[in-house]
Amino acid sequence: MSRLAPVVIDNGTGYTKMGFAGNSGPQFVIPTVIGTREAGAGGAPNVPKKPAFLSSSASASSHLASKRGIEDLDFYIGDKALSNSKTYNLNYPIRHGQIDNWDHMERYWEQCIFKYLRCEPEDHYFLLTEPPLNAPENRENTAEIFFESFNIQGLYIAVQAVLALAASWTSDKVTDQTLTGTVIDSGDGVTHVIPVAEGYVIGSSIRHIPIAGRDITAFVQQLLREHQEIAIPPEDSLDVARRIKEQYSYVCPDIVKEFKRFDQEPHKYFKQFEAVHSGTQRPYTVDVGYERFLAPEIFFNPEIVSSDFLTPLPQVVDQVIQTSPIDTRRGLYKNIVLSGGSTMFKDFGKRLQRDIKHVVDGRVQLSEDQSGGHLKAKPIEVNVIAHKKQRHAVWFGGSLMACTDQFYTISHTKAEYEEYGPSIARHNRVFNSLA
Amino acid sequence: MILLEPSSYILEESLLQRFTRYEAVDIQLVDFDGVRYHLSTPTSRTELLLSMAVPCFEELVSHGAQDIIQKEYSAHLAPEVEQGYNVSLKFDLENVPDDSGKYPALAKRIGLLKRNVFAAPYEKAFKEWETELQEPGSLMTIHYREEEAIYIRASEDRVTVIFSTLFKEEMDRIFGRVFLQEFVDARRLASIQNAPQVLYSNREPPLEIRHLPNLKDDESVGYVTFVLFPRHFEHPEVREKTISDIQLFRDYLHYHIKCSKAYMHSRMRARVQDFLKVLNRAKPERTTSNEKKLAR
Repeated sequence: MSRLAPVVIDNGTGYTKMGFAGNSGPQFVIPTVIGTREAGAGGAPNVPKKPAFLSSSASASSHLASKRGIEDLDFYIGDKALSNSKTYNLNYPIRHGQIDNWDHMERYWEQCIFKYLRCEPEDHYFLLTEPPLNAPENRENTAEIFFESFNIQGLYIAVQAVLALAASWTSDKVTDQTLTGTVIDSGDGVTHVIPVAEGYVIGSSIRHIPIAGRDITAFVQQLLREHQEIAIPPEDSLDVARRIKEQYSYVCPDIVKEFKRFDQEPHKYFKQFEAVHSGTQRPYTVDVGYERFLAPEIFFNPEIVSSDFLTPLPQVVDQVIQTSPIDTRRGLYKNIVLSGGSTMFKDFGKRLQRDIKHVVDGRVQLSEDQSGGHLKAKPIEVNVIAHKKQRHAVWFGGSLMACTDQFYTISHTKAEYEEYGPSIARHNRVFNSLA
Repeated sequence: MILLEPSSYILEESLLQRFTRYEAVDIQLVDFDGVRYHLSTPTSRTELLLSMAVPCFEELVSHGAQDIIQKEYSAHLAPEVEQGYNVSLKFDLENVPDDSGKYPALAKRIGLLKRNVFAAPYEKAFKEWETELQEPGSLMTIHYREEEAIYIRASEDRVTVIFSTLFKEEMDRIFGRVFLQEFVDARRLASIQNAPQVLYSNREPPLEIRHLPNLKDDESVGYVTFVLFPRHFEHPEVREKTISDIQLFRDYLHYHIKCSKAYMHSRMRARVQDFLKVLNRAKPERTTSNEKKLAR
């Protein structure tokens, strides 16, 4: 039998992307949520009941099925869990990019593989992703589950930022395929700025920004609430806000000019959003105005929404690169890669590039002036790369990587796992080092 | 719940997306039992080509798979089968489904492609039974996976289906044995008296197939025998359901073994946490010695 395509699963805080390698997009994007019957959502994981045949007071009946319930099998994942949230408890097994509840995660994967992807894990290699600075213990746990529960043939766990860099190679702007660059990964929950030098994540310089997709949606929702004459039904309001954000928002070069432009020609810029009441199926329209350019603006002027985080994104990127080793900085400025759904706004890359360039040029100018005009600096190239696969860049990078022949040589096989145990997951063959 | 569906969910979803949005695609998908799909738009954006490769296609064809394909999908059959695949279906998106309400139904039907192809030998066996056999019909063998096979035989009053399955790991084997034993026992419950009779044997092939050469003689092999009686396949609706269910049996078995392991693991984790709590409580108090040092 010819080798079947490897499976690529990217488990994010908000959404899980999964599919088969070789495709240009994930086959399923579902929320990372599991709905279980156990009492008590959140908090400590519930201890499953002990099967009765293990306890001393075995009942007289002859088979196990009647002795213990099947609560552990009664669960939904993804959208089905959300739609059944009235009768099931929702659990989010991943928090801040890291797996929080292994019991739920194991069951989540189980259903991903069998029900959604419909593949026999024993026939496939798997590529999974991990956030930067993931604890090696987490990686060991993952390897344990995949090798021992699912008997998979081979496993490779890649760092998300590196995959996002690899995904940017598809853009025409990229001339040389390097693994050096700064990744701006903005998903649903949190935004990271991650410097990567030749495939190594520079852990000490990573910065997190508490503004991401969810916050933008909330901001749009708030704006809509303030200026709307017709009330949007509260149960639909979040969804309407999200769709307006996705359909109409863009990044403007200058916020003051944009306000003026909207006021002069309102009919040209103001949009109407057609929505349907989810309960009564009655259609209504929502006027979309300044939200269009204000929503993504909170990346550049965070003071609009937040009172404790005030550094604009371009400055954060600059700080990240300035704290990285000096010999990598030019490479990091040259290759700033966007990844994740919240970087999809029109002209986001352009604005970011302009602002970072502004900061950098200002500093170069300053040091030239301070030297009294004696020293001339070589201009620093700043490139922000936006590409078509940006939304699921991490998954796409994983799919690219799992397609190569090397993938089979760099992943850990089941035989190796059995030889060395879970600690094998600490070793990365690409860099030939312990990670 | 954890129920598996007979149709391929992933294929259905991919098709539904493409039906409504014309775009160039090139998607490769996988299904149970080594089945591969390839969804592409080779010539133009409105022409969708779906190909399926089945490892044991020849065996299935010899039991009439081609007729079923003709019957179910004649409207969509592609004139030429794509290189490297066994079945090709073609959709002209501009005029195939005449109203959009039919998309889900069509996708659902296409999603059943693998199920329908694999249904051929069962249909044949049930048909043989209908002819009122005087002696057992021929034994049909389908090597649906590399080292695993299904054997089907029709007799005068029943149809026997035997699965041979392989457990790659010691642990799976034990789980599998317990599970299958349970399966056999559970049938004694009054509520499921109508379920087909199930027999399980480890290593020892059942009598029906003992004469076959090349049977793997190994601890890792298990045989599951289902005896289907007329009540399971007389009525056409029940027949379809029986076929769907019995096909997924192997996948269910392996799925449940994995679920059982996950269950064991979560119990182990809970146990370890309990023990850690006990251990932490048993730690000697360190503060006193520190205080002494400070006092000196």
